[in-house]
Amino acid sequence: MQGEIQLESLTKRFADVVAVDSIDIDMPGGEFFTMLGPSGCGKTTTLRMIAGFERPTSGRIVLDGADVAQTPPHKRNVNTVFQSYALFPHLDVAKNVAFGLKYQRCTKDETRRRVAEALELVQLTGFEARKSSQLSGGQQQRVALARALVLRPRVLLLDEPLGALDARLRKNLQVELKALQAELGITFVFVTHDQEEALTMSDRVAVMNGGRVEQAGSPREVYEEPQTVFVADFLGVSNLLSGEATAGDNGGCALRMGERTLQATQGATSARGQVKAMIRPERIVVEAHGATGDNRVPGLVERSVFLGNAFELHVRIVGGDLLKTMVANDGSVTEREEGAAVTLYLPADALRVLAPATSAEPTAS
Amino acid sequence: MSGLLGWLRNPWARPRWLAVVAVLYIAWSIVPVGIAVLFAFNNGRSRTTWQGFSTRWFTGATGSVFHDPALQSAFKHTLFLGLLCVAVATPLGVALALGLQRWRGPGSGVVNTMMLLPLVTPEIVMGVALLLLFLKIFPGLGLGTTAQAIGQVTFTLSYVVVIVRGRLVSVGREYEEAAADLGAPPHDQLLRVLLPLLAPAIIASAAVVFALSIDDFVVTQYLSSDASTTTVPMLLYASARGAPTPALNAIATVMLVVTLLTLAFAFFVYRRFAGGSSAAVAAALEV
Repeated sequence: MQGEIQLESLTKRFADVVAVDSIDIDMPGGEFFTMLGPSGCGKTTTLRMIAGFERPTSGRIVLDGADVAQTPPHKRNVNTVFQSYALFPHLDVAKNVAFGLKYQRCTKDETRRRVAEALELVQLTGFEARKSSQLSGGQQQRVALARALVLRPRVLLLDEPLGALDARLRKNLQVELKALQAELGITFVFVTHDQEEALTMSDRVAVMNGGRVEQAGSPREVYEEPQTVFVADFLGVSNLLSGEATAGDNGGCALRMGERTLQATQGATSARGQVKAMIRPERIVVEAHGATGDNRVPGLVERSVFLGNAFELHVRIVGGDLLKTMVANDGSVTEREEGAAVTLYLPADALRVLAPATSAEPTAS
Repeated sequence: MSGLLGWLRNPWARPRWLAVVAVLYIAWSIVPVGIAVLFAFNNGRSRTTWQGFSTRWFTGATGSVFHDPALQSAFKHTLFLGLLCVAVATPLGVALALGLQRWRGPGSGVVNTMMLLPLVTPEIVMGVALLLLFLKIFPGLGLGTTAQAIGQVTFTLSYVVVIVRGRLVSVGREYEEAAADLGAPPHDQLLRVLLPLLAPAIIASAAVVFALSIDDFVVTQYLSSDASTTTVPMLLYASARGAPTPALNAIATVMLVVTLLTLAFAFFVYRRFAGGSSAAVAAALEV
């Protein structure tokens, strides 16, 4: 498969700031790969190094077996869709798309044919003579895409290309981009701070923080099996509980929280001592006050947020941790008023013990 | 509240006393020019007493702008110097602006500040300094057209650099990166992308250089050699002290029109093609 990228101990230092701190990433050819993280996590700098706009301080960028780290951008077979599109304002749509074909030594006929094909691919046939100032944001984005894809790159780099668009257009373009990638079979390297975008579009996600890769894997892996507090927190609301880990049942782990002990079977169950465990809001079951059984903790509803089809309850459990959970608005009789006493069932197979973090506390937005 | 005070103090309108000050200032600065232009059309030899309308000082058979060899020679020399100065200062200034903008090394701040020095140096100081330069250090060059052109380039260059750099900052690096990304080698990034984007600023700065050159007196005067290197401003200065006729006003009017047309052209080009941000050229026009 073409378009395979390996980043090997890639580092970028700006003066005293380490923007990218010796990262290793494998991007298999033909996949939709996403670098996800908050601003300043190094994802854009990494992308710019792959494009060739930034020169790595050290490390290798291996594209299909050849190290291109010291190759200037105009000699790399990768193309970029910029966050602000960077369409040339003095050229019309057709000339923008044809810009790079000059360097592939295309004849006039071939240029015309490939421009037409590329515009058809992004559904902009008929817009050839427009200037970029006469296009909407979504149309500009498509031109930027056509301008890059017309060159048939092995890798397409996308720097938050949906960031400037409104919510509805984003949704549509997410689906279109993913379909386009599947159709063309080109490696897409996508940079975003939007976890939903990352989860819906990607074959593989690398969650970045502070210039390092916290975790890489399929969207389901990083969402369901986060290895660090940061990843758990950045990929949606997660509830963190603190406790002391000891040996538990069935090779699991017992979390002592005050007088109570919860069984946890997921994550770093061999960890001992003070640890954090997480549980997704959708896995918590809200029961009437006084319900008994394993892995149940009493708590008080501190806030109840009406979401239409559901309520989001913020429950302060014994021991002081605040857990968020969802209750469907289905008419079932559940205590959901603020101040109500409830019992939360935290299933053992939903409680994930996080390895004592070496990373910083989450700073996610 | 009385009518006028009420009008001045209307809190919902823009500050109106500022408008009053502005109107007074414009009147104060335009009226003398208007009078000078008016007397270019006087049907008589007086520059103070109105004797009826005529174009004799422009086209008349004797003593008019178009029939006075000295005036014609000065006019031609002024235009020649202006075009020469544009041809040299503009490309040089663009190159300097590109270099300074991209240069992020130690010392770049000092050089940037030094580029602004010619804008604030008193012209008389520069004129004297240049005179010494040509007389003592490069006596081989001598005074005359070459010296005048070099002198004018020296102080107009800064305007080109300032205007073009302003545009460079607003354009940013992204378009060059996009061009590189699409396979364009560095010289194509410059020719196919950056220069077209800078074109409005380049044209505007060329016009400013031309306007500055044809209006310049001090430097041009110091570096002139004989009658053949007399420019219109020099001629105006000399004849204003001799026996002036309205022909003087007539040639001043011609110069005024040429300058205004040049600046209007620069302003229009910059507004039209640089998307409204005319601050740089407007600042330059204030001189």
